[in-house]
Amino acid sequence: MLQQAAEVGPPSLLGISVRRSITLGRVYLLVGAGLSIFYSAVFALAAGPSFVTVFPVLLPVIAVMGGLGGMVVFTNDRLKGVFEYLIAYGLTPLRLFANILLASLVLESIVLGAGCLVGLGIYAATGHALSWALGTALGLYTIPMSYASVAFTATVGMVWTSLSSPRAGMNSPIGLLPIVGVTPALVTLVAALAAVATRAVPARLVTTVAILLLVVVVFGLLRLVARRLPPERLLSPT
Amino acid sequence: MALPEGKSGAGSLSRPDGISLSCRSVNSGYSGKEVLREISFSIEEPSIYVVLGPNGAGKTTLFRTLAGILRPSAGEVLIDGVRVDRQASRDRLHYLSHMDGIPDGLRVREALEFYASVERASSSDVERVLDQLGIRELSEHYLPQLSAGQKKRVSIARVFLRERDIYLLDEPTASLDPKVAREIRNLILELSREKVVLYSSHNLFEAREIGRYVLALRAGRLALFDRIENLRGSRYVVGIRLLEPSDAVAGLPQEGDYFLRELPGPEEVPALLRDLESRGARVRELREMHNPLEDLFA
Repeated sequence: MLQQAAEVGPPSLLGISVRRSITLGRVYLLVGAGLSIFYSAVFALAAGPSFVTVFPVLLPVIAVMGGLGGMVVFTNDRLKGVFEYLIAYGLTPLRLFANILLASLVLESIVLGAGCLVGLGIYAATGHALSWALGTALGLYTIPMSYASVAFTATVGMVWTSLSSPRAGMNSPIGLLPIVGVTPALVTLVAALAAVATRAVPARLVTTVAILLLVVVVFGLLRLVARRLPPERLLSPT
Repeated sequence: MALPEGKSGAGSLSRPDGISLSCRSVNSGYSGKEVLREISFSIEEPSIYVVLGPNGAGKTTLFRTLAGILRPSAGEVLIDGVRVDRQASRDRLHYLSHMDGIPDGLRVREALEFYASVERASSSDVERVLDQLGIRELSEHYLPQLSAGQKKRVSIARVFLRERDIYLLDEPTASLDPKVAREIRNLILELSREKVVLYSSHNLFEAREIGRYVLALRAGRLALFDRIENLRGSRYVVGIRLLEPSDAVAGLPQEGDYFLRELPGPEEVPALLRDLESRGARVRELREMHNPLEDLFA
């Protein structure tokens, strides 16, 4: 005798989404982790002031690449009718978005973690002390900017994909997302350098505002999705 | 085209102890573009309800609306009085879309486990459907390695993971070979003894074989809702197949081995048989050559 369905919604699909993101987005994850490890090792071995200045700035740019596996799953599930099935079983568009967003952040953590582990490991192993400046750069910029950039990339990518239909000769959102994703980190970097040069405002203030701005954009888009995105936008356009 | 005789438009077919699925003046569609207009019907009897209509008539839109995926712009869909977008209603239905809906990057067993986790079914349910649908030998295959028919079987397997009251099956036997299609039909027939099954198909012979009721859509409106046995086609044509040549069928048009004879209705068949035999014809087989469901597409 089959069990009668319990009157509760579908459970969290985060675990399986992360696994599928790793499988389907393995190229992005491998490239992201590879670049992260390579550059972290190079700058750690160079062991000059560049490790303290360039290493924390570089990681958020690379981390965006690693988080794209989540978008591969999103695009795939929309195209193959998986979302249609999941919506019928009670998942809202916001839950589908949140699921992919969290999966992207988990993937990004792998890239970021690998870079930090290798970079800091080599740096410490070669006899360098982990300075307060390096610690604050990682804690107040690298890590929050990495998560904010990946969240921004994934959310913009999902909204963009939901509102578009594949057309011959057009780039899919996922093809252009790396550019979209690294833009906030690069713009923040330029703004911070300008702040340092002009001494108009502290560079730390510029980076903090930039990170907060990204977080506001992400939550704003998610709020729009929850309120305004009709579920049919997540049905396969084919 | 003249519709087959029977109730047309809004309909209600009920049995006191049934499951209630009702559409009340539903308009529905995509991003403000209405596809369905003024759809009203009520289903309370466990059975198979075949949803028919030409391409673009709104069959898939109807299924998506009944499944709570599309929000009606007017009217409401209720399951036992509860709106279909409420979780309590969603938990009472299974929806199989015309697409496979199988997540990429998983083996067949993993895909079924994915479905099972969504529906809170157990791993023993996964094992059961692997046997039930004859896909155990495929369980370690990745999905891109499967044929279209095999993918369809995996897709269908998920609706057997948990028991529900209402099954919305959009072209469940499309791309299946005849043997597997028959097995699936038998499973669905078994299911329909206690459950409401809405089933769309472009195979009219299949629809007639397993359906008890027909919901016909035309241009987004419900054109007919009735028992299939009540349908009377605009023509009633029988095919006569003989054991040996006979003058009794001389002049009748032929389709393959069958000589075609148009009659006013099935009640004339015994008289036709007597007439043929009285004229020396040795009849091997008489069969209906015209499916009244075809008229719904004319």
